[in-house]
Amino acid sequence: MIFKKKNNTAAINEFNQEIAGNSLTKDAWRRLRKNKMAVISLVVVIIYILLAVLAPILPIYPYDEIILDHQHLPPSFTKNAGELLMEKRLADLYTQAWRQGNLELTEEEDDMLWEWIDSNEVNKVWDYMYEKGNAMVAEGSYTLSSYEQRRIDSLEEDIRTELQITLKDVWYRADSGSERVKLTSLDTDEILAAYAQLVNISAEDQKTQYMKEIEQQVLREIKERTPDLSDEEYEILLNQEFNDMSESRLNTLIRSNVLVKLNNAIRSVGLRNLKDAAEDGTMEFPLEEEISISETISATIKASKVHERQYYLGTDYQGRDMLSRIIYGGQVSIAIGFVGTITSVLIGIILGALAGYLGGKVDYIIMRIVDIMYGLPYMLLVIIAMAIFGRNILNLFFALAIISWLTVSRMVRGQIMSLKNQEFIEAARSMGAPTRRIIFKHLVPNSLSVIIVFSTLRIPSFIMTESFLSFLGLGVQAPFASWGSLVGDGVTGMTLYPWKLFFPALVMTIFLFAMNFLGDGLRDAFDPQSKNQL
Amino acid sequence: MTKYVIRRLLGIIPTLLVIITISFFIVRVAPGGPFDGERALPEVIKKNIEAKYHFDDPLVVQYGRYMFDVLRGDLGPSYRYKDHDVNFYIFQSLPNSMILGVIAISISIIFGISSGMLAAVKQNTWVDYLGMAFAIIGISVPLFVIGPILQYIFAMRLGWFPTSGWITGDNGWITVILPAVTLSASNFGTIARLTRSSMLETLRSDYIRTAKAKGMRSSVILFKHAMKGAMLPIVSYLGPAFAGIITGSVVVEQVFRVPGLGKFFVQSSFNRDYTLIVGVVIVYSVILVFMNFIVDIVYSLLDPRITYK
Repeated sequence: MIFKKKNNTAAINEFNQEIAGNSLTKDAWRRLRKNKMAVISLVVVIIYILLAVLAPILPIYPYDEIILDHQHLPPSFTKNAGELLMEKRLADLYTQAWRQGNLELTEEEDDMLWEWIDSNEVNKVWDYMYEKGNAMVAEGSYTLSSYEQRRIDSLEEDIRTELQITLKDVWYRADSGSERVKLTSLDTDEILAAYAQLVNISAEDQKTQYMKEIEQQVLREIKERTPDLSDEEYEILLNQEFNDMSESRLNTLIRSNVLVKLNNAIRSVGLRNLKDAAEDGTMEFPLEEEISISETISATIKASKVHERQYYLGTDYQGRDMLSRIIYGGQVSIAIGFVGTITSVLIGIILGALAGYLGGKVDYIIMRIVDIMYGLPYMLLVIIAMAIFGRNILNLFFALAIISWLTVSRMVRGQIMSLKNQEFIEAARSMGAPTRRIIFKHLVPNSLSVIIVFSTLRIPSFIMTESFLSFLGLGVQAPFASWGSLVGDGVTGMTLYPWKLFFPALVMTIFLFAMNFLGDGLRDAFDPQSKNQL
Repeated sequence: MTKYVIRRLLGIIPTLLVIITISFFIVRVAPGGPFDGERALPEVIKKNIEAKYHFDDPLVVQYGRYMFDVLRGDLGPSYRYKDHDVNFYIFQSLPNSMILGVIAISISIIFGISSGMLAAVKQNTWVDYLGMAFAIIGISVPLFVIGPILQYIFAMRLGWFPTSGWITGDNGWITVILPAVTLSASNFGTIARLTRSSMLETLRSDYIRTAKAKGMRSSVILFKHAMKGAMLPIVSYLGPAFAGIITGSVVVEQVFRVPGLGKFFVQSSFNRDYTLIVGVVIVYSVILVFMNFIVDIVYSLLDPRITYK
């Protein structure tokens, strides 16, 4: 045949309407759309995933940026950090004045405040004292002492002038005639030379100093890895490490060290340059400008006032922005949920399909393993493994994936056993298709809908398990965050700083709700028994 | 039937052996040991300590000796807490965990079944929706969120319960309520939903229609006929439910400062107190495995369709 027959004329029924094919997925999708909760949940889940994926380009502060001045700031949409700090300072001063008897209140007020203090509700005391103190100062019944005035003024000064500088680019110009290039594009020796020029230490001396520093770093790493050795053994290990280390690795180590130093130097120069401007208010912040550090080095820096930062969801015990920690924590939690589920489902599919299709001894062995593993208190084993093999995301992920394939494999086995005697499999077998092809081309795709539904229901339980471990302090470690570790941090001090507990808990709960509703909706939609009922 | 019971009992042995072996080797292959403090010990002292606890023997010999001790019921000395051995600490804290666990599972069974049945009988009314809303909250919200939030609201804000403590303390039995409710939440949700769906299915079945046609009282139909049939999925869920209670108690005991086994468990994992970790895991596993066994037996008694050779 020369012309391929185009098959785009749709079939027409007796009423002249197009007959559209109706696959299981299409049918399921139609039913899912009728389920209002499931659709809302789907939207919620998509929003969460988008936020998690787009986190790096969202206009939020870095999740690991520590600003110690901003410890435990309450959430606020209207006030920035400086205003909150001032409130805190004033409330503090008024409360102190009241405790020392300088600021006099009525007897009922005294009783009320003491009652709050006794019942551990210091927040209320501060709020009340702030309002009351301000009112009293305004009407003149209390005047601030010179000490108090000084404390307020100095804070005001800090709020006005303290800057935060981030480097965008660092430029290098060999001499006035040549083109400027990015410093990071230079090789290590050139960077060393440039920095040597800046600080007046010869490149050779610097190099020996960096070598010493790197030695210390490597030694620290070794000590962390193997904590129980004698000094001589450490020395041997250290030498070994250095012998094994390639030239390029050493080079990158030196390079990163010198870059850190250089960046610090630039930052301090920038700070010096802009401090005056911030003080007399001649410049508008935040700003972005290029400053020259020396004849050869210049830098584009971004400067903003630290205390103009806004924390919509408050800050944690190190002054890190809760909003961005929750978003990045979501990234970790959701990623572990999805990747973990996919891994465990893959293991489960392979083993379950083998057991179901091959039967006999293979089936027996795999299913006995599954049986025994079912009897294990596996969460406890995971806890031990995490506590002992080090707490990082990778270990956590492996520990979870290894234990969670059991149910999938049982389910896939059941599906495959019911499918394997059907005609289409017999047809494939009689045409000589190899076992692998039969399993992965015919059997697995036909049980995929059940697997997908099940996986959706697995994701929230995966996230819960991960968070459970992180909550115990066995999962994700700082500066990284996950919802579980955030809730765990929030539990300490929840009377004073309830936002640290509530926001992560709320965000996590909403996601888990949505995943559960979506899973239920999918199950109802895919369940062949409920087909044609709606 | 007796044969089946004996065979199931024999099947427990390999499971327990596997558990003991796995936990023994997991803690041994890990880097770092129980005697690594801040300061390195002098060689001689270290050698002596290792000799005392037989750490200098080959691993297989240690394993064999440990197995032998465990079979005699001796879980060995604790490496961190020098005053007593592991048995002492376990017997000291196990009753507390048991009380908490039994109360929690009773709460989840009683409330789960009753709200599930209520929801099924009053399907698509506000009772149904309310019960199922609570159920889904119990399932979706992790217990380490429920616990602190209950603590915050009912203990710190309203002051109805003490924030933490235990029966042996000044506050008495009221201290059990919050941890037990927290621990029961997720099982309550699952049991309520299971009961509702299996009850709905049973109520539509032929034998219920027959009973109705005979003119029996609806309460008799509900509690005598429908309930027995609808309980099967719930009984088979009880195995995982016990596992959930055990893992959950690790967190709940931490949050509410219950002096139970779970708290010991996390601490000793951090301390690398090998014998204590393995001891706790063995105790938990024995409980879990026997609970599963009992559940299976009950299941077979309830369902006359199942026959055992």
